[in-house]
Amino acid sequence: MSENYWERVIGNTKLNIYLKDLKDAALDGFKDESDNYKQKLVYNLLETVRNNDQKKFFYILIKAINKPKGNFKELWEELKKCYDVMPEEAFVNFAYSIILGIMATYGGEKNE
Amino acid sequence: MRAIQGEVLQDNENMQNQLAFTGNWFIDAGILGFVNLMEEVYGWDLNELQNRINKEPEKVYYGYFPFAYLYKLLGRTQEVNPELIKKLDKELKDKIFKDSQELFDFVWFSFICALFKDSWIKNKFKLIYHDDAYNNKKKLKKQFNYKNTQIYLQKIGEREKLITTIQNEHQDEIKEILKSKKGLTKFEYEDLEKLINYDGDVSKELKRSIELLKEKNFDIMNFLENEWENNVVKQQKLTKKESLFYRIPIDNSFYKNFLFFNLKKGNLEQKDSFYNMIRFNLNEEEILKRMDKTVNKFLLSEKEFSNINYTKLSTEPLKKQFEYLFVYLVCFIYAFENYRNMGNVLFYSNDLGFSYRINNRMKLYKKKLEDKRNSNLIFRITWQQIINSLVEYKSSWSLENMYIISYQTLDNETQENIEYIGIPKLQASIILDDKIRESLNNIIQFRSKNFENRFCWLLEEFIKGKSLYPLILNHVNLVINNETNLSYYSAIYSLITEANILYFRSENEKPNSSIFSENYFNNYKGLVQDIKEDVRRTSYCASLIKIISNDEDKKSRIARELISALKAKDKNLFLNILLKNLNESKELASNDSFNRWLMEKIIKNNVCFEIYGLILVMNLIGGRKNE
Repeated sequence: MSENYWERVIGNTKLNIYLKDLKDAALDGFKDESDNYKQKLVYNLLETVRNNDQKKFFYILIKAINKPKGNFKELWEELKKCYDVMPEEAFVNFAYSIILGIMATYGGEKNE
Repeated sequence: MRAIQGEVLQDNENMQNQLAFTGNWFIDAGILGFVNLMEEVYGWDLNELQNRINKEPEKVYYGYFPFAYLYKLLGRTQEVNPELIKKLDKELKDKIFKDSQELFDFVWFSFICALFKDSWIKNKFKLIYHDDAYNNKKKLKKQFNYKNTQIYLQKIGEREKLITTIQNEHQDEIKEILKSKKGLTKFEYEDLEKLINYDGDVSKELKRSIELLKEKNFDIMNFLENEWENNVVKQQKLTKKESLFYRIPIDNSFYKNFLFFNLKKGNLEQKDSFYNMIRFNLNEEEILKRMDKTVNKFLLSEKEFSNINYTKLSTEPLKKQFEYLFVYLVCFIYAFENYRNMGNVLFYSNDLGFSYRINNRMKLYKKKLEDKRNSNLIFRITWQQIINSLVEYKSSWSLENMYIISYQTLDNETQENIEYIGIPKLQASIILDDKIRESLNNIIQFRSKNFENRFCWLLEEFIKGKSLYPLILNHVNLVINNETNLSYYSAIYSLITEANILYFRSENEKPNSSIFSENYFNNYKGLVQDIKEDVRRTSYCASLIKIISNDEDKKSRIARELISALKAKDKNLFLNILLKNLNESKELASNDSFNRWLMEKIIKNNVCFEIYGLILVMNLIGGRKNE
C-alpha cells in the first residue's frame, strides 16, 4: 500500500499527504493531555468528519492545538504542509488519521 | 559424421510426428479426442500412442485410426466383436504395405467392412415389400442395384408372400401378438421381429407358419452374409454401380457434411472420401478446404463470419503444419466426456499431457460423480479432481492456462448451454498452497437474490475468478441474524486472499510500475507468503476488537451498524461508527497493535478497506469460537 495517500499538483509544486506522519504528529502532540479532554475532543471531531464539515473540523483542531507551550510543533508543521480543502475521500483519511493518532495516546505514556 | 546426420534427421522426423497441442483450442480438443479414441479402442495410453506414431505413423493414421473411428461410431448403436481388434493388430504388425492407399484399402475391406457386416445385413434385411425396391416409375432404386438384385428381391418377395398369407389366415391372433388395435395396414420390420420372437401360446397352424417365416428369414440372412463376405470383404471387387448397394450404414449428426456420411454415396466413395480426409487431400474434397461450421459446430458458418477478412478461412496454410489435421478435427467430440446432469465436459490447458491426465482422472470419478444427485456436488468433485491433479503435477503445469469447456447439445441446429470457464494462473498458483486451499475448500451458506438460503463452494468461486467478498458479506449477515454459524477460517482466508490479490493488481496497474519494475517479473511468487503473513497478523489484531465491550448485545449492535455501512460502501460512516465506539474503550483505542492495524488496513487502504472492515465485524459477532 502506498504511504502517499493524496497527491495534487498546484502550480509547480506537488501537494502530498503522508497519513502516517500526520498520525505520528498527532500522537506526539496529544500524549500529555488528559484522557477526558481528549475523548471529548475526539467525539467533537468525529461529528464534523461525519458531516464532511472541513471548516469546523479544522476550527476545532486548530483551537485545540493552539498551545505554544505544548508539543504540537510537529503537527503544526504537518498541517502547514497540507492544509487545503480536500475532496471528501481524501479528507476522510486525513481526518481519521489524526483522530486515530489522538486515540493512541489514551492511558498516558504506557502505550508508546 | 553421416551417422550423426542420420540421427539428427530422424530426430527431426520424430519431432514432426510428436503429438502436441497447438494453442488453438478446437484443434487441440481434436488431438485429445484422437488420443482418447485410440485409448478407448486399443487401450493405448498417450505414451504408447506416441511411440507407435514415432515408429510407424502411417499404420496408426491409415490403419488403426479409421477402424477405431468407425468402430466407435458403430459401438454406439450395437455391440461389436472385440476379436476383430486383436486380429487387426496382428495383421497390421506382420504385413508390409507399399503405400498408405494400399494399407488403407486393406483395412477398409478386410476389417471395416467386416465390422459392419451385421449392421449392413440388418439394413438390407429390413426391406419387407418387394415393390419398395422400385420407385414410382417402376424403376429399380439405385441402392438396390447390383449383380444379384434379382435373387435378393425374389427372396424378399417370397417372404412377403408368406407374411401376407399369415396375416390373412391368422388376423385375430396377429392383432393380439402385435398389440395393434386397428387392423394392420402395413406390416413393418418391427412387426416382423415381434412376430418371430413371440413366445406366448399360438395356434398350431400359426406356429408352423412362424417356423416357415423364420426359415425364410434365415435364408435371406445367409444369402446377404455370403454376398457381403464374398463380394466385399474377401474379393473387394464391387463395381462402381454396385457401390451404393454395399454402402456402409453410418451416420453422424456432428459431421454431416463429410461425404462418407452422405446417404447417396456408395461404399467406394465412402472409402475414398475417408482416405482423402485422413490424407488432407483438399483438392479432392470441398469440405477439406475450409475451416468453418461444417467441420466444427463451435465455429461460425462462412456467412456468419462478420469480418470479410476471415471468411473462407482456408485450410491450405495449415496443411504444412498439420499433416493429419482432419483426423483430429473429426475426433473433436471425443475430447468431451458426458456427465449426467452436467453435459459434455472437457478440461483444457495448453499442454496435451496435462490435459490428458486431468481428463482421465475426471473420467475415473465419473461413476462417483453420476451417483450424486446434487449437481452442485458433481461440480465440486470435478473441480476437486482438477485441483488434486494440479497439486500433484505442480512443476509441469505452472505456466499453463486452464479452461473447462462444456456443452449440453451440439449439432447442426442447436448449440445449447455452451460454457467456457477459464482458471486464471494467479488463482491456480494460490491454491497450490495447502493451507489456503484447505481453508477455501469449504461450503458456506448465503442468501440468494430470491431470498432462499443457498450453499456455495468457495474454492469454485475462487477458481472462476469471482469475488468472494460479496458472498462472505452475505454469509456474515446471516450469522448476525442467527441463521447460520460463522465459517471463520474459510471466511478470513477468502477475504485476505482477495485483499492481497487486489493490492497486487493495484500495484501493477500504477502508472509508474513499468514492465521493467521488479514487481512485474517477480509476479506472484511472494503473494502466497503475503497472504499467510496477513492472515496471521489480521487474525490477531482484528480479534482485539472483542474487548471493545463486555456486553454481547452492544457488540452485536455495533456489528449491525458496521455491516450496514459496509453494504453502503461508506468508508466515512464505517470509521465514524467504529471510532465513536472505540472512543469509549480507552484500552482498545490505545492498543498499539490494534491502532496500527486499523491505520494501515482501513484508513490508509484505498483498495479494499471493506474487506478488513468485514473481518472486524466477524470478530465482533464471535470470531473463532463458533468454528
